Amino acid sequence: MEYLSTDKVLVVDLDKSEVIEDELSDDLVNEKIGGAAINKYLYEQHVDGDPVVIGTGLLTGTLFPASSASVITAKSPATGLVCHCPVTLKVGLEIQYAGFDYIVIKGKSQAPSFLWIHDGVADISDASDVWGKDVWETTAAWRQAMGDDLIQTLVIGPAGEKGSDLAQICCNFWASGDRWGFGKCLGSKNLKGLAFRGMGLLEIADAEEFVELSLDVLEEVKESAFVGRQGIGDMAEALGESGFKEWLAPVVHRHSACYNTPYPTNTFAFLSEDPQKMEEPQNEEPGFLITDLFGLIGFKKAGFDVKDACELLKVCARYGIDAAGVAEQSLAAGKTSIAAVREGLTEFTGDVTRPGKGIFSPWCPNQPIFGEFDAADTDVEAWWERRMAVAYIFGIHPIFAVMSPEIVEDDLVEIAAIGTELEISQEILDDVVAYLTG
Amino acid sequence: MKIHAPVENHYTANNAGLVSGERPCMADSFQKRSFEKAFAGSRPLKYPHIGVYAGTGTSHSWLWFIDIFDRMGFHAVSILDEFDVMAGRLDTLDVLAVSGGDTMAIAEALGPIGAQQVAAFISSGGVYLGSCAGAYLVMNSSKPHLCDFNFAAVKITNLSKHLPSCRGMGHKFSMAYGCDYIFHPVREAVGLRLSGNSPFKGEPSFRAPLYGGPGMRVTQGAQVLARYDCFTDKTLFLVEKQLAHETLINTAAAVRVRKGDGCIYLFGPHFEHPHFLQANRLVAEAIYWDLRPKPAAKRPWSEGIKPLSTRDSSMLLLTLKRELSNSRIVATGLEMLPVKWQIGAKIYEPEKLRVFLESMWRRLKPLEKNDRLFVAAETSQTLMADAAETTALLRRLKSDIDLGKDTRLLAGRLIHLLHRYSMSFLELYFRCVWQIGQSGEQIELPKCPR
Amino acid sequence: MEIQIDAQKCTACMACEMACGYHRDDGFALLSACIVAYRTKEKKDYFGVILKLEEDLLVARPEGTEIKRIGEEEDTSDSAKPADASAKPMLLREACDLCAEMDLGPLCVKFCPVDAITVA
Repeated sequence: MEYLSTDKVLVVDLDKSEVIEDELSDDLVNEKIGGAAINKYLYEQHVDGDPVVIGTGLLTGTLFPASSASVITAKSPATGLVCHCPVTLKVGLEIQYAGFDYIVIKGKSQAPSFLWIHDGVADISDASDVWGKDVWETTAAWRQAMGDDLIQTLVIGPAGEKGSDLAQICCNFWASGDRWGFGKCLGSKNLKGLAFRGMGLLEIADAEEFVELSLDVLEEVKESAFVGRQGIGDMAEALGESGFKEWLAPVVHRHSACYNTPYPTNTFAFLSEDPQKMEEPQNEEPGFLITDLFGLIGFKKAGFDVKDACELLKVCARYGIDAAGVAEQSLAAGKTSIAAVREGLTEFTGDVTRPGKGIFSPWCPNQPIFGEFDAADTDVEAWWERRMAVAYIFGIHPIFAVMSPEIVEDDLVEIAAIGTELEISQEILDDVVAYLTG
Repeated sequence: MKIHAPVENHYTANNAGLVSGERPCMADSFQKRSFEKAFAGSRPLKYPHIGVYAGTGTSHSWLWFIDIFDRMGFHAVSILDEFDVMAGRLDTLDVLAVSGGDTMAIAEALGPIGAQQVAAFISSGGVYLGSCAGAYLVMNSSKPHLCDFNFAAVKITNLSKHLPSCRGMGHKFSMAYGCDYIFHPVREAVGLRLSGNSPFKGEPSFRAPLYGGPGMRVTQGAQVLARYDCFTDKTLFLVEKQLAHETLINTAAAVRVRKGDGCIYLFGPHFEHPHFLQANRLVAEAIYWDLRPKPAAKRPWSEGIKPLSTRDSSMLLLTLKRELSNSRIVATGLEMLPVKWQIGAKIYEPEKLRVFLESMWRRLKPLEKNDRLFVAAETSQTLMADAAETTALLRRLKSDIDLGKDTRLLAGRLIHLLHRYSMSFLELYFRCVWQIGQSGEQIELPKCPR
Repeated sequence: MEIQIDAQKCTACMACEMACGYHRDDGFALLSACIVAYRTKEKKDYFGVILKLEEDLLVARPEGTEIKRIGEEEDTSDSAKPADASAKPMLLREACDLCAEMDLGPLCVKFCPVDAITVA
């Protein structure tokens, strides 16, 4: 696979402490395109090893708007289904440039380990010094040890180590799109997580055409309905959470975007510093980056004020547990204080509400946000499943996919063909969507 | 990053032919310089063994020589330090290339013994290519250490008892030269013009960058090959334009001096800078033109070195790849940090660390195509150890910078290690590429900076 | 013509960095970009943009923009101090050339989704 690819599939056998590199064949990409579909294919190939597959979308890390997502595929301990969640922020990007398009992790390590993936090198490394530590301590430790603050991590916390069905694979210090308990999958393999860093290059078949088409799409996107809005607050209001933005406002510092994503879906809340201050804070940990919309909505509904709600998001992220699930069960259990929630972290079960068919993560709202989609008016559930499938195949930020009708399948198919010189067509995409959505 | 095909293919093809036993000739006139068969006035070509000097006092610009030689298919390359020179390794070479750095430090490190070796090398038929500091080194001088290297009666035009007033970049403007000063009137690309003397024929106007190199005035016995002709839109003025004009324009930028059976080429600007292809071409022409049919030089890298086993070769490559990646990751993170180190007379910025690492990193792929590497087992062990130590030192450097510690000594240690490590790695690289070339295989060359 | 950056509008999406890397390398890569999203203070939510110019860095911080001499911590204009006669550029990250060869003009400007980067 010559273009838009590292041409490499990594298979990590933790039983044997072995890494093997395979080539990514053009035939496979022609048939399954990329992202969640190839993840699923690889999962099926290695199913005996109870694999966790991490893969990049076909367009991940390019200049196509919102091409920020990689995908994790595994069998959810909570639902028992093989399902997928997105990896965004800058982690999805770094996976692409760290040297492997797909990573299959199977078996179980004898001792706590982590994978250090860098520039096409995969090292199974000792994680005994961080086993038992929370997500923040672990990410900080790896960055310090490897000497770079831009190392991106997928990490589990104590929740994953202890086998909670709500355990989340977190991104750096923050909550991720994992609503499936994939943290438990890694914990059961004695795998603390993965660290990524790479300075690779993706070749493009017809670079000028690709870039021009990307720019055309971006120009359209810049006229979209979301323009002028930003962050978690505006998204929540668009989902009907009236007054949410006002509720959040006292702690809002800045909004930031995942890689190349035109809408900044993340909002940083300052909890111990003046959020109006733009200078670098003295405090090393002035607050928390809210990446999980439903986690925050959940804690608000459970009656917490904004600071406590954000504090709880931080507690959940450090512990490596799905905040939306914790919020739902806290509400049900009548837990009304941070202390009560914190004390009960080990008690939360995997039995929480997860809209959708159980294939794509409900971290992404299951309705249009800001923008209007004709297909959503007819059958919003079918529209959402397809929209997610397409996003997860090409590596488009799922939340942006439900925000911007300007991202259309025709363009994705066309640009994929331009970028790879493969004969990717709408027919093939339809087949792949069907393969993913069953 | 592109390889500019037409220029490189011309020399690469010619060198591939030389390696495989072809014996083309080089003509004197421009019309007949495409390597036809022997005729009156033509010179037979041979494949040169080139030494690139990377010893104490050199900066990183020797890597530019490495890049252009690699790109043009000159793969019989050794990398030498002062100890190699003093030990007589120049005997094995046809060409010695000395690029930029701290002239005084280079002279001091080589000392009288090194100077004698260089003199003997040239006199017995060797070609000396001196660029910037490498040019200053061999110009006649009474200054301590430099006085051992009086090989070329060429005067420096940017030399003054009193420093002129500096218009900018004070930290790059001048250097002490005994009781005098060498000052640098301009930096960056300057316009040059060929004088029409062989071997520098062809398009008369071209550019090359000046980073502290000399303007020259020649006496009898030396040939001016190119002159400073004009300044460009990229030229940065460090003195008043009038003074810059008087100091440089129409003075010599490239000079050829005979010494015994050999030849000295002095370049004020960096003709070996990889962005200036026409200037690079002239370096190749100089090499071809003045190679003498010395007794067949020994090939130190292929004699007595058996290839490592496939397993050990694989282990070496994997270790090098792992540690180069680890090192690059840290070095890239240091780049934009507001830190610098003064080590000797030179100022190092964090980006300079990456220059060495990148030069090695982009040469891993051709090595990976060889299943057995030609390197002594002991050298292999040293390489792996240096690779790991480089990563460890870089990580410590990062940590110390974060803690606000003084990192000058650590940086000095690291730079010294990087020199040694990259010299050893690049020797291995050229040896392997040479072996591939000997077998007739096509080599996939690294993508050098455009 | 020069690049101007409004760090308060910036969302740290890195589109500019990738666009510039594409301009330098004819492929998708970040290593050669002369414009870089400054994002190492993740837990502090402190981010901005750094642009490499010929001898300086344009540092666009959320609280304001400054120009810094590359690598300098302090004034080195003291002529008594030995100077660095061999100071040669690194060739790793080149200075911004405003995408002079490209029909589209500065790509960072084109690809910034929030118009935080403009040309003046």
